[in-house]
Amino acid sequence: MMSTKAFILVSAVERELLTGDRERISIECVECCGKNLYVGTTDGSIYHFLLEEKALPAGTATFTATKQLHRHLGFKKPVNELRAASALHRLLVLCDSSITLVNMLNLEPVPSGARIKGAVALALNENPVSRDPFCVEVCIISVKRRTIQVFLVYEDRVQIIREVSTPEQPLAVAVDGHFLCLALTTQYIILNYNTGIAQDLFPYCSEEKRPIVKRIGKQEFLLAGPGGLGMFATVAGISQRAPVHWSENVTGAAVCFPYVIALDDEFITVHSMLDQQLKQTLPFKEGHILQDFEGRVIVATSKAVYILVPLPLEKQIQDLLASHRVEEALVLAKGARRNIPKEKFQVMYRRVLQQAGFIQFAQLQFLEAKELFRSGQLDVRELISLYPFLLPTSSSFTRSHPPLHEYADLNQLTQGDQEKMAKCKRFLMSYLNEVRSTEVANGYKEDIDTALLKLYAEADHDSLLDLLVTENSCLLTDSAAWLEKHKKYFALGLLYHYNNQDAAAVQLWVNIVNGDIHDSTRSDLYEYVIDFLTYSSDQELVWKYADWALQKSEEVGVQVFTKRHLEEEQNSFNPDDILTCLKKYPDALVKYLEHLVMDRKLQREEYHTHLAVLYLDKVLQQRPSADSMGTEVTEAQAKLRHLLQKSDVYRVRFLMEKVQGASLPMERAILHGKLEEHEKALRILVHELRDIPAAEDYCLWRSEGRDPAYRQQLFHTLLTLYLSPSSSAPELAVAAVDLLNHHAAEFDAAQVLPLLPGSWSVQLLCPFLTGAMRDSVHTRRTAQVALGLAKSENLIYKYDKMRLKGSSFRLSDKNLCQTCQNPFCEPVFVRYPNGGLVHTHCAASRHMDPSSPRPGART
Amino acid sequence: MRKPDGKIVLLGDMNVGKTSLLQRYMERRFADTVSTVGGAFYLKQWRSYNISIWDTAGREQFHGLGSMYCRGAAAVILTYDVNHPQSLVELEDRFLGLTDTANTDCLFAIVGNKLDLSEEGASESLEKEGHSSGSVGDGCVSPKVPKQVKPEEAMALYKKILKYKMLDEKDVPAAEQMCFETSAKTGHNVDLLFESLFDMVVPMILRQRAQGPPQTVDISCYKPPSRTKSGCCA
Ligand SMILES: Nc1nc2c(ncn2[C@@H]2O[C@H](COP(=O)(O)OP(=O)(O)OP(=O)(O)O)[C@@H](O)[C@H]2O)c(=O)[nH]1
Ligand SMILES: [Mg+2]
Repeated sequence: MMSTKAFILVSAVERELLTGDRERISIECVECCGKNLYVGTTDGSIYHFLLEEKALPAGTATFTATKQLHRHLGFKKPVNELRAASALHRLLVLCDSSITLVNMLNLEPVPSGARIKGAVALALNENPVSRDPFCVEVCIISVKRRTIQVFLVYEDRVQIIREVSTPEQPLAVAVDGHFLCLALTTQYIILNYNTGIAQDLFPYCSEEKRPIVKRIGKQEFLLAGPGGLGMFATVAGISQRAPVHWSENVTGAAVCFPYVIALDDEFITVHSMLDQQLKQTLPFKEGHILQDFEGRVIVATSKAVYILVPLPLEKQIQDLLASHRVEEALVLAKGARRNIPKEKFQVMYRRVLQQAGFIQFAQLQFLEAKELFRSGQLDVRELISLYPFLLPTSSSFTRSHPPLHEYADLNQLTQGDQEKMAKCKRFLMSYLNEVRSTEVANGYKEDIDTALLKLYAEADHDSLLDLLVTENSCLLTDSAAWLEKHKKYFALGLLYHYNNQDAAAVQLWVNIVNGDIHDSTRSDLYEYVIDFLTYSSDQELVWKYADWALQKSEEVGVQVFTKRHLEEEQNSFNPDDILTCLKKYPDALVKYLEHLVMDRKLQREEYHTHLAVLYLDKVLQQRPSADSMGTEVTEAQAKLRHLLQKSDVYRVRFLMEKVQGASLPMERAILHGKLEEHEKALRILVHELRDIPAAEDYCLWRSEGRDPAYRQQLFHTLLTLYLSPSSSAPELAVAAVDLLNHHAAEFDAAQVLPLLPGSWSVQLLCPFLTGAMRDSVHTRRTAQVALGLAKSENLIYKYDKMRLKGSSFRLSDKNLCQTCQNPFCEPVFVRYPNGGLVHTHCAASRHMDPSSPRPGART
Repeated sequence: MRKPDGKIVLLGDMNVGKTSLLQRYMERRFADTVSTVGGAFYLKQWRSYNISIWDTAGREQFHGLGSMYCRGAAAVILTYDVNHPQSLVELEDRFLGLTDTANTDCLFAIVGNKLDLSEEGASESLEKEGHSSGSVGDGCVSPKVPKQVKPEEAMALYKKILKYKMLDEKDVPAAEQMCFETSAKTGHNVDLLFESLFDMVVPMILRQRAQGPPQTVDISCYKPPSRTKSGCCA
């Protein structure tokens, strides 16, 4: 274990000032109270010195002692113990088994001569039970066997308040509140002198070694245990800290938080109470006394007095950090909590955490580093600033002073090791990514996001794009320059877009597509740009790149017009402008017109006619040699037919003219149909095309949504065509038969029969005739049923009428009108079916349903 | 320093592997240890509770400290070495008496360590390190030997302890639950041991909290200071 420098040893009272060369006389005890230092000697003298402390820049101090007074007590006995009671201006002097009170300044005994007799040892209660500030509680080991006495000591009197006997002879005592901590002959115990309850701590052997009992703080004691242990025990009899490990022959112990100091014949050792480890060893020969007085630690040989001056905690922590002893530094820093005001502590502790974080970081212990940075609330920019060029040039950041670490930058830290460098960068990436959305980032979002962007760009990391397409605070100028440097043009475009510079973004992407600059981030960049323009509401931008887009691909390019959001499209783009633009791009033009006609269902004649003409052109163009009057229909033709059939707004006659010359009978038929020239249409279908199914479909198509009579008419026309003598083709006769048999319902049999050639057998038309017969019979029967029902209904009414007329009743003055409650004066009345009688005028004035009169309901 | 909510104490003869067990659990490693001087402790956060775990010294010299360490303990782990029957005997002879200061409802676990060195235990881990860290008891290259202490013996001790404490078997966890065989070297059963104990200790902490501050000073338990405990100066 490396050692810490926690204390330095400085001289306070030199040999010359005290005993000089009188060999026989030596120091017996020491007391220090503020600037007053008292020394008791073996020859019964008390010396009083004034200590002057002179601070040194390193945070330590030197002391000079000037002798104030020397008084001989008058016995040839050693002064065993000295204790100052500063509130009383008294010094308690144990000499010759008796404690006398002397004035702190002139060392004269109090006039009353008050004293405690028969004391072997004494302890002052630093946690007194009494609230009286002008008395101190003193506890003594009495010369009486196995007896402890407790006294209250006032300015010039003493008062015994308790005497307790102990199971064994006590050898050492310390006190806290009501609790005595005692070293007996074979064990240490805690004894509550108020209740008498004792608690064993642990055994030890007084014959082998002198016990140590030392109060180290509220309700806690330090004891010399077996095997050179410094044991901690509370008044409850338990240990809350692990023991420290001293040498076997320790003779004295003191505490100066967070350290336990021990003295043996050769060394002063310093252990930390926080981790129980040995921190410092100072050679010190013939040490004899070690005691702490209100935080000041004094050691003495038999001839001279020294002071152990603690180095400031912060200095110690910094020393530990400087030697990369992170764990210990943190323990020490945390332990300082109770010694430093809260605010100051927090600042200090946070700083230590941060420094520790950097030490771990430099050792590439990233997990630990991260945790330390987090708990130390590190300004992330401290970390970013280690990486050259990551902070934006505009950042106002300057590193904290004094610096948190010793590194100028990452190059120095990694000493140029590329692998380490890459690891550090990866760490920063993940760290920044983690903190950017937390409160750690507050105030420096720009710095963080810009740094992250730079790292991603440099590392060719996928997250670069994610960063740019989501909410971010990347600074434009800095980021742009960096992306350009790393040839991340696509990303740069995203950055421009995020900063509302779509024109710049698109220009950049267009350049990539055109191959002017190189960036292979996206292989489908052209489609991406089209998509971008499609969703862009910037008309000017769309127009600017429309030609470029269409030149690349008419089909895809036109999407910037056809795939727009409908509402936006309706508001901003004028179809006529677009059509003008598309003149040069026939395929695109068709697509756009289709979009207008089919998707948006615009009913403007121009669009429909234009589209039909374009289809027609295409159809014509695709059929250079008319000889291949193929039966299969081309796609263009199908589209044309579909449009001609479905649309109602194109200029039929105009198209008819165009179609006339060309051999497009089907289209002609459709156009005739649009003009309601059914016979012409059907004639074409039947005679020119001989397309029987088409003819039948035509009838269905044209009669769609019309009344049955219209449909019958159409079918009838078709039948007539089939049967017309002009075309005696046998297949038409077959068609006629099929038509009748399959569409029996579409014909009025009465009209059909006269048309049929007499030679046709009934067998041939059996389905039609059966259908027609059944239909006719059905109609008749339905009519009969309806008639029957009507008749019976009539009968029911007749019966009702007869029933009402059939009975008689008497009307007298006793009968009252149910409505007005007056008698009837004339033989005129109204009688409801339920028998109620009312005046005619009353019945008229009551607009009531006569079938349910509710006489009297109005009362 | 945060006050722990509950205390667990490891007791057992020297060299049985108390420190190694604790080190395996807390630091997830098995490394050389030196014979413990005095005692040491760890704080373990378990759920929202702080549990302190005390590692004591098995050396005779520090025997006297045991009672103080056990004072107020919620659980005691009595550790022996499955290859040294004497270490089990010592638990009853020397260590059980130290637990008188523990809480009245203190739990006892009996743990046979170094299972990896015995034949049956050897199957637990295939990794075979050349030599065990040579310390006093088993300082040489350790050939696998038949296990010397059977789990039943540990369970018998557990029942004896209940008798000694005048506890009814029905009121305390069953022997099967409280007797473990572990290896600090391979980690076998180590987490199970500590974590089952933590889970049992937590309700005790809660119970204690519900009863207000732990019996500050229980006058009825007052024992006049006496010389009962082992004389002195071993
Ligand atoms: N093979 C093996 N060796 C072990 C195991 N546990 C401990 N040891 C070894 O046994 C020796 C003693 O272990 P410690 O953990 O120091 O024993 P201890 O009980 O703490 O001893 P004291 O502190 O003296 O009471 C060391 O050399 C360990 O490496 C184990 O499970 N298997
Ligand atoms: Mg140990």
